[in-house]
Amino acid sequence: MSNLLFPSVIIVAMLWPFGLAMRVPVRGWLSSSGRSRVWLDGWWCTAPLPALALLLPWSEPSLTLSWWLLGGVWSLDDPRRSLLALTVLLWGLAGLYARGYLASEQHRQEAGDDNAARRLQRFALFWPLCLAGNLLLIVAEDIASFYLGFSTMTFAAYALVVHAGTRDAQTGGLAYLVMAVLGEGMILAGLLWAAGSAETTMLDELREGLVEAEQGVWMAALLWLGFGVKAGVVGLHVWLPLAHPVAPTPASAVLSGVMIKAGLLGWLMTLPLGHADPGEAFVMLGRVMSVAGLAAAFGAAVYGACQSHPKAVLAYSSVSQMGMLTALVAMGLIVPEQWPALLAAVVLFACHHGLTKGTLFLGVGISEHPPRMPSWLLWALLLLPGLSLSGVLGSGLASKWGYKTVLYDADHKDLVLWLSLAAVGTTLLMARALWCQWRAARQASHDDPVALTGAMPVAWLGTLLAAASLPWWLPMGRPDWPPLGELVGLWWPAALGVVLAVSIGLMARQHLHEVIKKLPPGDLWWPLMRGYQAVAGRVARGVSRLGASVAAVVRRLQALERWLVDGLGVLARGEQWLGRHGAVLMMASALLLAIIMLVAP
Amino acid sequence: MSGAVFPIATLASSLLVAALIFLLPERAWWARTSLNLGASLIKLGLVGWMVWGLHRGLDYAVEFPVVAGVSFVLRADALGIMFAGLSSLLWLFTTLYAIGYLEDSPNRKRFFGFFSLCVASTLGISLAGNLFTFLIFYEMLTLSTYPLVVHRGTPKALAAGAVYLRYTLSGGLALLLGVVALHVIAGDIHFGEREVLADLGAEWHPLLVSIFVLMILGLGVKTALVPLHGWLPKAMVAPAPVSALLHAVAVVKAGAFGIVRLVYDVYGIELSYQLGLMHGLVAIAAVTIIYGSLRALAQQELKARLAFSTVSQVSYIVLGVGLFGPLATVAALSHLLHQGLMKVTLFFCAGNYAEELGIHRIDELDGAGWRMPLTSFAFTVGALGMIGLPPTVGFISKWYLGVGSIEAGMPWLLAVLVTSSLLNAAYFLPILHRLWFRVGPAHGYGDWPDERRLGRMETSGWLLWPTLATAAFSLLAGLLASMPFSPLEWAARVASQEYVL
Repeated sequence: MSNLLFPSVIIVAMLWPFGLAMRVPVRGWLSSSGRSRVWLDGWWCTAPLPALALLLPWSEPSLTLSWWLLGGVWSLDDPRRSLLALTVLLWGLAGLYARGYLASEQHRQEAGDDNAARRLQRFALFWPLCLAGNLLLIVAEDIASFYLGFSTMTFAAYALVVHAGTRDAQTGGLAYLVMAVLGEGMILAGLLWAAGSAETTMLDELREGLVEAEQGVWMAALLWLGFGVKAGVVGLHVWLPLAHPVAPTPASAVLSGVMIKAGLLGWLMTLPLGHADPGEAFVMLGRVMSVAGLAAAFGAAVYGACQSHPKAVLAYSSVSQMGMLTALVAMGLIVPEQWPALLAAVVLFACHHGLTKGTLFLGVGISEHPPRMPSWLLWALLLLPGLSLSGVLGSGLASKWGYKTVLYDADHKDLVLWLSLAAVGTTLLMARALWCQWRAARQASHDDPVALTGAMPVAWLGTLLAAASLPWWLPMGRPDWPPLGELVGLWWPAALGVVLAVSIGLMARQHLHEVIKKLPPGDLWWPLMRGYQAVAGRVARGVSRLGASVAAVVRRLQALERWLVDGLGVLARGEQWLGRHGAVLMMASALLLAIIMLVAP
Repeated sequence: MSGAVFPIATLASSLLVAALIFLLPERAWWARTSLNLGASLIKLGLVGWMVWGLHRGLDYAVEFPVVAGVSFVLRADALGIMFAGLSSLLWLFTTLYAIGYLEDSPNRKRFFGFFSLCVASTLGISLAGNLFTFLIFYEMLTLSTYPLVVHRGTPKALAAGAVYLRYTLSGGLALLLGVVALHVIAGDIHFGEREVLADLGAEWHPLLVSIFVLMILGLGVKTALVPLHGWLPKAMVAPAPVSALLHAVAVVKAGAFGIVRLVYDVYGIELSYQLGLMHGLVAIAAVTIIYGSLRALAQQELKARLAFSTVSQVSYIVLGVGLFGPLATVAALSHLLHQGLMKVTLFFCAGNYAEELGIHRIDELDGAGWRMPLTSFAFTVGALGMIGLPPTVGFISKWYLGVGSIEAGMPWLLAVLVTSSLLNAAYFLPILHRLWFRVGPAHGYGDWPDERRLGRMETSGWLLWPTLATAAFSLLAGLLASMPFSPLEWAARVASQEYVL
């Protein structure tokens, strides 16, 4: 009996959000006029709930679907169960938050604004669809399901990014989509190449096959970069700071908290991390990855500290944090024997960052619409996740201690130092984000504080609580707490960061304004865009010229054909002439023959 | 005995209908419609029965000599029945669609008469058992589609028809020469008798290569291989159901199917590979795939963009044929069906937009998704399939092509495939963006070019239901690709026969 229970639970968990998404067009179809219709109703909020049941300790968590795509296998192990827990929690709480966040659009819909109604309808459709993709990619063990989940999530999230429909949202959406399509292309190439040489449709065999394949490291590089678009690998990260600030706040939270972790999961599922003998080439790839990761960690911290929109700062912080994670994942190729311990640290770090970053994003909305509570308490609560992300307390401290011990065991103290320095950057970013929020809140006057029991504050406090209690409930990577003596070693980056932030803030305030104006969010996107426009015009002209020259060849062929037909006409006319003058010609030639015969001897 | 009845009955079902339709008066709408639908249902039943019979190991063949040494052969083998199944399934939907599309327009008798002839030729092509029979139906297809292309009778349509005839007749001539040459060398080769040419000996190889090239030139015209594709974008002046049929089943597929037959069942894979012919096919296909996508990107008219996209997509089949290995064969054969399902959906949608809202250009599509959600949903499915995203059938094709090119030892082809995917995304995603995310007349900004209210739903049911049905098929055939009797599974069955024997 229990053999059937897990399959039905997993199928319901996948289908439930999908069904809720499909409910939207059906409801819209059944009656086209419904001003008072609540698209984000209670049912809508339940989308991730059935997936909670997957977190139970199942004895045999696997389901085989032989008729599905190329043959499907869905299963769960400890790392993925942890990521699933993060996904379910953050999606659920952000969904609740969205109800409050979009209440103003609901009012506008009721007042007869059709555009608001359409926006809500689209949000209600694509949010659960995106969630369904996210859940599927976590449980997928076969390549086709994984790719299906990944691309569903990616493309559905586009609708969330462009939700507001403003010019900035269009730009953010474009950046998101262009990078996502490029990433999908690289993922597809990597998956096909690897799966083709390993002759498999399963991810675990693909991982094994990479090591054995002759050009395995190139396949791995394609997969790293392809998933790296989502995970914000340096150079491919440009969509993050453009898309996050324009998306509705709950969508930013899931984008930054959960969806970029799909890139990480992609790496975990496809790269031969912890393989006993990956070979020299893979070690090299690992070095490249860790350098790229550290570059992202520092570059994003510096650039992000010069942003003025709190959500852009947080987006850069995500790039920076994912850079640190990239460097840690790369260790799985460099020191594979440490991977089991490192994996636990990576999963803990990922879940900690996901929930904490989600809380920070939701907090931006909270500081814009403060609930009825004392100001000092509000700002203390807003400060907490920032401190956690800097590694001062809570899950941040635990996860920092987690990877630090593993790296010390692996004798990679230099990386620990680099990561600690990156944490200085994180602190700087947190200070900057909070400062931007503080200033925005001071400039806006709030006469109508939101009730503390409203959807937004409840969801925000929920994520705060979940993030704080993370080390106690996470299925994997439950950490040891650092001994008191180690605290100095863990706290100095944050302290340095605070000192740095305060001194920069005090000394260079005037210059900072000038700098900030010159550094728009999206950094590399703008020069790339200009370059693309220059090249694209030329390519388009070239292609149309190619078409024109093909047409010219066709015209020439047609002219040749006409010439041939005309030639046939000449022949025909000649024949007619021959017919008409046949008798005369015969006579003439007979005469000529006779003369020749007479003259000849 | 009964084995002979089925292929003949299948063919007769549309030939007879064509004759009867020509006899009926123009105004006999009910009689014509019920004839059309009845016949297509009967044919679908017959083909379905033959599929089941083949599954049980039965043989369906009929053969009689025409002159000494040349015989007329109809035989339903696994490969042929695949194409027959596609054409009879899509014929049903296209007939339904055409009935709605041509409502109240003149010359419907002529249209449906030639329409039936066209389908009869397609079935003849799929069931033909040797090159001679194949050639007869191949030429019959050319002649029966011409009246459909010029159906509107406008100067533009007539010009397109002239171009069409020029290309296809010269192609037919090349094919004829090739068939005659093979006949002189090796006699009447039945499809599947691959040993005949293989046993000829090395001194014949140069001649065999030139004949192959000649025949590919002939077949390549209908397959729209670059640079023989010029007629296809012009022929899109035809009415939407004709375009749908031309692009999905009848003409381009007949060419592609011919190439499949030529490589697998006349020359045989081993011989084609030894002669180095496969590399040529791969090169042409790769060029065509990229070139077609690039040209599609530059088109501003919806049907023109779809037409160039066909140029690109049909060559996936040729690419699969050109790669040595069972997986690539599976890709080629399944894409034969998959591309048909997706393209017919897209052309139906283009027709719906044109009929209901008067939309022909892509920039007129802003917000059309809110006015015609079901049509736009179908278009979205088709477009995602063309890009190759799961769970549509396009993903399945692309997967097997990619894995097949690795198997054949040509990983560089992945670059072609991925580039093609990216280009497909570049010309389909903007359309989807316009449909769903831009504001337009549906939101009260401006007007549709020529809005007509054809039905209680977003458009006439005759136009809508076939569109939805083909969209559903292209979704389900991908989602349930590993089910028995799915296109993929059947293609794998054919491929196993090609490689085991």
